[in-house]
Amino acid sequence: MNDVSMIIGVGAIFLGIFILLVSAVGLFRFPDLYLRASAVGTSAGLGVACIVVGALLIDFSWMNLIKALIAVLAQMLASAVGSMAIARSGYQNNSLPADITWIDDLRLTRRDLHDQGEIPR
Amino acid sequence: MSSWLSWPVRIVSFLFWYAKEFIMANVHVTLDVLRPASRMKMTPAIIAVPAASRSDSEWTLISSLITLTPGTLTITISRKHGILYVHGMFVEGREELVAEIQEMEDRLLRAMRREPGDLSRPVMAPIVAPEGESGGGGGRR
Repeated sequence: MNDVSMIIGVGAIFLGIFILLVSAVGLFRFPDLYLRASAVGTSAGLGVACIVVGALLIDFSWMNLIKALIAVLAQMLASAVGSMAIARSGYQNNSLPADITWIDDLRLTRRDLHDQGEIPR
Repeated sequence: MSSWLSWPVRIVSFLFWYAKEFIMANVHVTLDVLRPASRMKMTPAIIAVPAASRSDSEWTLISSLITLTPGTLTITISRKHGILYVHGMFVEGREELVAEIQEMEDRLLRAMRREPGDLSRPVMAPIVAPEGESGGGGGRR
């Protein structure tokens, strides 16, 4: 039993490392802030969660289970709220989406473009 | 009375459904990151999605869950007009993303509310023009 949970735990840690690695590659490959934030913010959350779960399986106790649950929930919440804050402030500071973004409804709400007459009222 | 009995079932089935969606979206995004640049088929878009959420906790949860799903990201919300501005990574069309987000919201609201209540979305076409009042900065909602 101990060996099995050890193997699964090490597997989960390696899966977490793989996910973090892929999201780091994504940082370089994606063209704009929003794609990076949506790919990396959440994948990083899952990667850390996998590592925490792996460590829990290797060294299991009820106290560690509670700590791991809190850590995973806090990590997920922080990565979601962080991604939204980054994306929102990026849009407000004129970081325009890449050209491949083919629909942008948020652009229609920009007051400065209305004032310049680029978008008809 | 049956709403009391089905409530836990709805919560658990939402959690399982969300876990499934979460894993599928993760695989999808991972595959796209690792795909060679010539065959990357990203079609990102920012879509105004009419939302049925009403209370603070509903807005917070739906926007966090959308962001937590890889490939979709809530950029901002307009509570006044009941709109979520969602950035999607693989958007085939406006209707597809709106349907996907609204399905998640329907399931979430059915799990959160004892009585599902009002799931209607009053704004069909988003009102996108900014307010007439003065004030600096662009795109602030």
